[in-house]
Amino acid sequence: MSTKAEIFSKLAIRTEAVKPKRMVFVIRPEDLRKVFEELIKAFGPESFYLSTIVGVDLPAENRMRLDYYIHLVPEGETVVIRTFIDRSNPVIDSIIDIIPGALAGESETFDLLGIVFKGNPYLKRGFFVPVDLVQKGIHPLRKDSGV
Amino acid sequence: MAITKIVEVPLVIAEIPIGPQHPALHEPLLLKVYADGEEVVKVEVNTGYNHRGIEKLCEKNTYIKDLFIIGRVCGICNAVHTDCYVRALEYLLGLEPSPRAKYLRVLTMELERIHSHMLVNATMAEVIGFDSLFMQIMLDREKAMKAKEILTGNRVMADYIIVGGVRRDIDDAKKEKIKDLLLKLRPRVEYYKKVFEEDETIVKRLVDVGRLKPVDVTLHSLVGPVARASGVRTDARAEDKYDAYSEIPFNVVTRKEGDSWARMMVRWDEVLESINISLYILDHLPSDGNAVPDEKRLPRIFPAGDSYARVEAPRGELTYYVMSDGRSTNPYRVKIRTPSFNNIINSAFMYIGHSLADVPVILTSLDPCISCMERVTVVDLKNNTRYRVTVRELASGKV
Repeated sequence: MSTKAEIFSKLAIRTEAVKPKRMVFVIRPEDLRKVFEELIKAFGPESFYLSTIVGVDLPAENRMRLDYYIHLVPEGETVVIRTFIDRSNPVIDSIIDIIPGALAGESETFDLLGIVFKGNPYLKRGFFVPVDLVQKGIHPLRKDSGV
Repeated sequence: MAITKIVEVPLVIAEIPIGPQHPALHEPLLLKVYADGEEVVKVEVNTGYNHRGIEKLCEKNTYIKDLFIIGRVCGICNAVHTDCYVRALEYLLGLEPSPRAKYLRVLTMELERIHSHMLVNATMAEVIGFDSLFMQIMLDREKAMKAKEILTGNRVMADYIIVGGVRRDIDDAKKEKIKDLLLKLRPRVEYYKKVFEEDETIVKRLVDVGRLKPVDVTLHSLVGPVARASGVRTDARAEDKYDAYSEIPFNVVTRKEGDSWARMMVRWDEVLESINISLYILDHLPSDGNAVPDEKRLPRIFPAGDSYARVEAPRGELTYYVMSDGRSTNPYRVKIRTPSFNNIINSAFMYIGHSLADVPVILTSLDPCISCMERVTVVDLKNNTRYRVTVRELASGKV
């Protein structure tokens, strides 16, 4: 593991793992932007790319989980930044001004799960979801959406 | 009526919709292009014309049925999709398939890469108006399709990879046939590569069009041949060494130029690499272990946990996230991130400053696969059409 791990572990409240052996750093939602800002400051924007954003609805715990999969380029490793947000008010800071590549992931997560990325001007319903579901205000991947 | 008054219209920025149905596009996508004269000043990518709700369907069906749903995310690269999903499940189980199965999986995926790259190069020839080259490449692409049919039983839809192995084995006669086809294909690919290098029309249309800097590649999360053509060395085959890639020698092709031409040349070089990989597999196929597991004994419930698999699809890094709650026969969450999802939606900045005629060239050089990209949402099941009823039955597990 590279020294990039130090940035992640500095901000992490605990670490987990996703199979097969991918490091997960659980952080507070307010630290999310800081992770990417420090990563760019220390290693430059060419040292990683944001591979995907995975949102999971967890109604039993009344929260939602957001995983940011970051691929470190020269090392060829994928690490995960995981954060939890409140399900009744799913809002998190957008990182689109730091990393424009977050556009696809944030737009999709907003449309399907209803997580609002504060500061992203491109969010819109109907990015993928059909018009009739948009009119009913349904986010299809929520477990209680009834779809 | 005679003309009584002439009003001069000032030249303003024009909005030109390219798609969702357009001769230059082979699949439905809307590029809203804003042009000042001939120069593109802004592009918006509009999506939503081809969604089928695959992620939701996966949550509503069992793990084993999902194998066949996931094979239908994309026609061109169905084997890599299935391989990625199957490996995510195998990580959950802690299962390792036999070496022979691993080699056969790689062989299918490499044959798929050959025909996918040949398809997009042929499409590029068509887009720039070189139709005879398009037909020639498509004719030779049939050799790769035939080889895939001999291996998996089908030209396109393989449904070949299952948890623990593959669905059919090959014998020596089939091996020889595939080898023969690949050896005939190689000189043709070398010839086409030379055409792309030397033909004046192709070089004029592609060189310096849609140039990408490495920093733009990583900031906009572009993957696959697009990233490698800009000198960003990322290839899931070399990094994760999944299946048999740890034992097979191959090169990661990169170029420095970063323009549309470089992206097409990376693809031609990768076809040649793939042919070498396939020939290596046919010569070194291990004979230990059973490659074909008993389908009746496949596990129905998977241990609780989550796994994340990466695969190098023809268009770039494809990832599957599978989450299991350990109790249900259905997955709790399946997240698919296809390479086109990043490459097309995040690449609107690439068109700016080029002329309108370059828009299809740049789009084709990204190798768009719309069916891959738009697999996420839900089809409304209540209103109409027999197709939707079928999907509904499928989603509720009745079929």
